[in-house]
Amino acid sequence: MKQFMILCAIAPVAMAMLGCSKGELDPKKPGNLVPKTAELDASIPQIAVNGTLLHAETFGNPTDPMVVFLHGGPGSDYRNGLNAKDLANHEYFVVFYDQRGSGLSKRHPKNSFDLDVMLEDLRSVINHYRNSPSQKVYLLGHSWGAMLTAAYINKYPDAVNGAVLAEPGGLNKAAFDEYSKKSRKLKLFDEVTNDVLYPDQFLTGNENDHAILDYKLALASQYTFAPGNAEGVEGPSPFWRNGAAMLKKLMEIAEKDGFDFTTNLHRFTTKVLFLYSENNTTYGETFARKEAAYFPNAQVSKVAGTGHEMFYFKWDNVKSWVLPYLDSLR
Amino acid sequence: MKQVKLFALVTLASVCFTSAAAQNINWRSLQPGQKHIINLNAALDNSTSIGIGYGYHFNSKMPLVLSAQYSMPFGNNVFDDFKTKLGAQLNVLELQNVLVTLHAYGIIRRYENSLASMFNFGSEFATTVGYYKKTWWIAGDFGFDKAIVTNIKHSEIMKEYNPGIQSGWYIPTGGNFIYGLQGGYSFSKSDVSLKISSTMAQDFNTKPMVPYYAQVGWNWRF
Repeated sequence: MKQFMILCAIAPVAMAMLGCSKGELDPKKPGNLVPKTAELDASIPQIAVNGTLLHAETFGNPTDPMVVFLHGGPGSDYRNGLNAKDLANHEYFVVFYDQRGSGLSKRHPKNSFDLDVMLEDLRSVINHYRNSPSQKVYLLGHSWGAMLTAAYINKYPDAVNGAVLAEPGGLNKAAFDEYSKKSRKLKLFDEVTNDVLYPDQFLTGNENDHAILDYKLALASQYTFAPGNAEGVEGPSPFWRNGAAMLKKLMEIAEKDGFDFTTNLHRFTTKVLFLYSENNTTYGETFARKEAAYFPNAQVSKVAGTGHEMFYFKWDNVKSWVLPYLDSLR
Repeated sequence: MKQVKLFALVTLASVCFTSAAAQNINWRSLQPGQKHIINLNAALDNSTSIGIGYGYHFNSKMPLVLSAQYSMPFGNNVFDDFKTKLGAQLNVLELQNVLVTLHAYGIIRRYENSLASMFNFGSEFATTVGYYKKTWWIAGDFGFDKAIVTNIKHSEIMKEYNPGIQSGWYIPTGGNFIYGLQGGYSFSKSDVSLKISSTMAQDFNTKPMVPYYAQVGWNWRF
């Protein structure tokens, strides 16, 4: 019987050896499961700022007013926001970058992330591309990127000339919790929930096994566009890499220390544009107005016919609000 | 915000979930003439799942049960995700009512969503040390579930997003330690059991999304 037990145990190994006789792959090797990042692939467009390498691209005339796009997440990338490069056709200089630890930007150890370094990265990106002190700078933030936009204005109220905030998920911890509570509907017996949780028995990695963790987060992203999702997301949208270490660290900081990006917003008297999407049932006008009220001068507008991923699925509808707003500030 | 929402889901799940999925046997109530054990169970095992198992009891010098088990998560797609275990548990030491059992299983499991599918060969080794009476038992478990090699096949959309992504056999892919308690009540030809465990990745540091395992089970012996 002991022989049988041994057989039971080694059978999978034998099957595995047969199965992978064509050659095995290392899940931790960069490029196998997730794309190589800036420090590993010199062909990726990148800038060296604030002690890191950020994947970045620009569109338009560098002397035109600058629009900096801030992607969602934390940990997502700017790929599904690239429709906004259309603003370059309207005489804006559009800057995209993947935030530290996200997308194709350089990976960093989990414990190196905090809000201050994210804000300093943004300040460094603006300084890197700004041609003169008179060049106007506008921030165009989506989701977490809109939260980062508010955090930046809160810290540097005189640093930008206008801002668009598209569905920030709470500008302080209380609002963040409120929005999270509305959107956090755990269905224990649902296919989508189990599809997020089940891969943990197939792939494991420690907190700095970035490729494995990023890949698992990519698989889990199906949750966000599942049929019937509350945020009204129509389907998958393209991405390069989900930064799991960055996401986890920022969420740990938020839970442990809380945050409040509103304490200094009253000093920003320029009009801001707040966008919410028609199909995101967990956001809505009420929440948008509540968030916008932290700014002395805010326009709240609904983007029709789409959900949270409005930049990818209904850019024209987003543009119909963003372009007149930006033009009004020129 | 979608990342935040996902993180929130996982956090909430880790709070709610408690769950390892072998047949929990009361060796004291298992009679020499009872050769067959049918098991039904529901578990929190990296998902909410249901399972069925069959065990064959060898009344040898060291009592042995060979078993085959199948479990699958709840959801609309019934057969896209599953886990099968084939192996044995052997009662190796008996000191009055204290029994020591060794478990060894080969595992085949599968996962699929719209982005990728995974097919894995793994193994599980465990030890159970417990106090067994004819009508009840309580025991502690310690085991290691090793995902030895996994074939990952990416969907067209993943290949479109990342043309360099590699489908094929990945090794090594992971492993989780499982440790906890089980107990149960035996009556007539049945055992009902509850098992609650904690899980930790093989680096002894990282917790999986659902760092617990729980199972309620029913055995029918005949």
